[in-house]
Amino acid sequence: MASLYLHIPFCEHKCIYCDFYSIAPSDGLARSELPTGRFLEALKKEIELRSTTGSAGVSYETVFFGGGTPSLLSSQELGAILGHLAAKYSIESNAEITVETNPGTVNRQKLQEFRSLGINRLSIGVQSFHDDDLQFLTRIHSSQTAKCCVREAYDSGFENVSIDLIFSLPSQTRDRWISNLDQAMELQPTHISCYSLIVEANTPLFRMVESKQVSLLDADTDAELYELTISYLTGHGYEQYEVSNFAKPGFKSRHNKSYWDHTDYVGFGPSAHSFSIRSQHAEGPERSWNVANLSDYCSKLEKGQLPVIGMEHLTIDQLIEEEIFLGLRSEGIDLSSFRTKFGKDLMMEHELRVRDLLETSLAVVEKGRLRLTSKGYPLCDEICASFLS
Amino acid sequence: MKQIRNFCIVAHIDHGKSTLADRILEITGAVSARNMTKQVLDDMDLEQERGITIKLHAIQMEYKAIDGQQYTLNLIDTPGHVDFTYEVSRSLAACEGAVLVVDATQGVEAQTIANLYLAIDAGLEIIPFINKIDLPSAKTMIDTVKRQVVDLLGCKEEEILLGSAKSGVGTHEVIEAIVKRVPAPKGDPESPLRALIFDSVFDEFRGAVAYIRVFDGSLREKDHVKFFSNGKIFQAEDVGILEMQRNRVGALFAGDVGYLIANVKDVHDTKVGDTITHADRPAAEPLPGYKEAKPMVFSGVYPSNSDAFGELREALEKLRLNDSSLTFEPESSLALGFGFRCGFLGLLHMEIVRERLEREYNQSLINTVPNVEYRVTKTNGEVTLVDNPAFMPAEVLIEKVEEPYIKGQIIAPTEYIGSIMKLCMDRRGVHKNTTYLTPERADIHYELPLAEIIFDFYDKLKSISRGYASFDYDFLDYRESDLVKLDILLNLEPVDALSTIVHRSKSYDWGRKMCSKLRELIPRQMFEVAIQAAIGSKVISRETLSAIRKNVLAKCYGGDISRKRKLLEKQKEGKKRMKQVGRVEIPQEAFLAVLSMED
Repeated sequence: MASLYLHIPFCEHKCIYCDFYSIAPSDGLARSELPTGRFLEALKKEIELRSTTGSAGVSYETVFFGGGTPSLLSSQELGAILGHLAAKYSIESNAEITVETNPGTVNRQKLQEFRSLGINRLSIGVQSFHDDDLQFLTRIHSSQTAKCCVREAYDSGFENVSIDLIFSLPSQTRDRWISNLDQAMELQPTHISCYSLIVEANTPLFRMVESKQVSLLDADTDAELYELTISYLTGHGYEQYEVSNFAKPGFKSRHNKSYWDHTDYVGFGPSAHSFSIRSQHAEGPERSWNVANLSDYCSKLEKGQLPVIGMEHLTIDQLIEEEIFLGLRSEGIDLSSFRTKFGKDLMMEHELRVRDLLETSLAVVEKGRLRLTSKGYPLCDEICASFLS
Repeated sequence: MKQIRNFCIVAHIDHGKSTLADRILEITGAVSARNMTKQVLDDMDLEQERGITIKLHAIQMEYKAIDGQQYTLNLIDTPGHVDFTYEVSRSLAACEGAVLVVDATQGVEAQTIANLYLAIDAGLEIIPFINKIDLPSAKTMIDTVKRQVVDLLGCKEEEILLGSAKSGVGTHEVIEAIVKRVPAPKGDPESPLRALIFDSVFDEFRGAVAYIRVFDGSLREKDHVKFFSNGKIFQAEDVGILEMQRNRVGALFAGDVGYLIANVKDVHDTKVGDTITHADRPAAEPLPGYKEAKPMVFSGVYPSNSDAFGELREALEKLRLNDSSLTFEPESSLALGFGFRCGFLGLLHMEIVRERLEREYNQSLINTVPNVEYRVTKTNGEVTLVDNPAFMPAEVLIEKVEEPYIKGQIIAPTEYIGSIMKLCMDRRGVHKNTTYLTPERADIHYELPLAEIIFDFYDKLKSISRGYASFDYDFLDYRESDLVKLDILLNLEPVDALSTIVHRSKSYDWGRKMCSKLRELIPRQMFEVAIQAAIGSKVISRETLSAIRKNVLAKCYGGDISRKRKLLEKQKEGKKRMKQVGRVEIPQEAFLAVLSMED
């Protein structure tokens, strides 16, 4: 199993909290001046270049268009990219093909076109159903547009629709967050990602917090909202399969899981990461990443070079660390496959720690996996650190 | 012998002792101005940084005086801190005279007086020198300072020299005064040998090097010498005088200052204050004044990383070669693993040892709260010394506990007397008397439990007196006190390394502060932590550290994984430096929590 990721580095507007690489017209360009054509050429080139190394015999189960705002591309453009991929990679017929979609960048017709290209999953960046939250986050859409977008997605034939929500916004109350969740329920998404607001360095939000223009919620309130989210969604038929991800039965994102299961992924586009556990490299599994700059990205590919700017080879200890924290973040660590892979018995090696977790109900052993409970997820990083030390 | 002058310089820190020494060396040509990095007498990095002389040294100079005669001058350096009173007294014992340096802008300080009294006790001729007279602020002060000196020494005002060691003004006169006023050594060159060890250092290649002053007789290479304190006999291999380097001259005679190398492997055999004599013709009596240097302050020293125990032992052993006052014995703690209980002369000595271990030996350390040594009489009559609070016997087994007291002297402007007395009272001090050096300057005497001054007494004193008070102390005696052992429990498990011994009257307050400080210093854990202070089985204070509720990064997709792993690795490093008691992880700073407790 393996996955493909495409990073589409364009946005209509850069939101204050976002640190993903993209460029927007407000960066001094008119919308029509965004170098979409040059990028698409370069992307095509990258798809060709990467397909010559190590992809033979591998079949790809998921394709994910992320960004940036991939839904800014026209359906023709997306279709062309899918065409290039299909020409070079063996993509399974039932592959999960997702496009991150922002309300306000698509209409019913465009969504129908997406669907007819074989795209079968939308991840819609709703973030909030309150207009003042959306304004604070500097999103381009309103609550109404967001709801409309989700309904149109269903109407256009999508059966797998995910929405993103952000909680722990400044001065957010428990009631307001519940109201967000209530409104989400009305739309019946098959999948919900709920993220606690992260203040990333080098974002306008970071500077606003630094200069005390904005004050964040205290840690205990943040914890309370998170605990509430888990109990609310699991109480409404969603299964938590990762720290921030919840799905109706049968609708976990296969693409997300590929990251957490340590399977191979190939990333295209500026700032995209690739990972190969099967890497033939003597130093171990390889993770590499592309340059996070559109014009450097294009120039490299125009010269026939991969735009890779960094890589690492994981040592066995690093690989074990990742297995542990990725496992604990998601659906648990498969104990027998851990033993097969690393020749170590996790339960024996961390006997006291595990016993502690089980006794305090922070974790359970279920179907051969050591996994966190809804009580354990909020302490995930704390628990991971205790395993690593 | 009559052309020899042995002298030292007595001063408070920063009053210019080392600068004056430098000038004297320059004038006598012992060292050229060009070769001189400043203050040659302080040759350890640490000493130069702290501006204090820790190890003693001596240097011999030749000087042609105005009277036309050639003199041999021996300058013997003295350490300038209260922790080293005994060492100072032995250096003084090697001299016939002392230059008393007083800063014209500061006046007489506690340390000046303490060392001066030692010098007077040793029968030394005192030459007062008021330094830094060229500073603008000296003008208004100088008459006051002169009066202080006259009062202190009972000398005539004309006998006081004035100058500036920095610019060299008046320093020539100091040397002339040494020649004229300091008596030549007395002693019988024909009597059996008696030489005083006033310092010793460890030389990697030669072993222990004793710095000595010969009082009677003579000492030649190949002589068999005996140390009075332990009766050990060694053969003198190398005998000489101390110039910028050792100068091997083969023999030393009554009145001389020099060194002896005798294949002694360990500085503990060349004890400061001990007397050397000949094995075949021993002196009947040693020179007076010898004492075993006794550690007064104790602290647990543990490696941060428990694997480094062996390394720490090696470092301490090496350090001890050069520092005969340092003692250490292995001990173990449930919280900290294997380490050492170290004994120090005082707090400064403790700090110096810690810094040298960290800097010169690259050790990462955890120190426990320093404490004194208690004398415990048990109900069965047995008397034991307790230098680690964790080993204090149970209260029911104790008949009485005695603790060391010191005689403290504080000199400060009179306006601060009130707050100083309050501080001393808070520290269970007993006021003895207060005299006035001048109408504006008081000399305050207290008897204080040593335990009460080893924490932050000196810092507090400095802060309440805006830096004007100076302090000196000397060991007095052991006195019975109502002392209790205060234990700290984390989730009901006692943390041995956090136990302290405190006076009963202070125990509640102490317990409360400890708990609240620990609550600040211990990070929240995955579970609630009860922090309790207890005397015996009675809990006297409690704080609750609530459990951490959330610590998880919201997003972790393709590009985040490496970043996330690095974050966790960092967190892991942080945890490695924590010590675990039961399930509770304690940061290293917590073990010194007491030192940062607020009033």
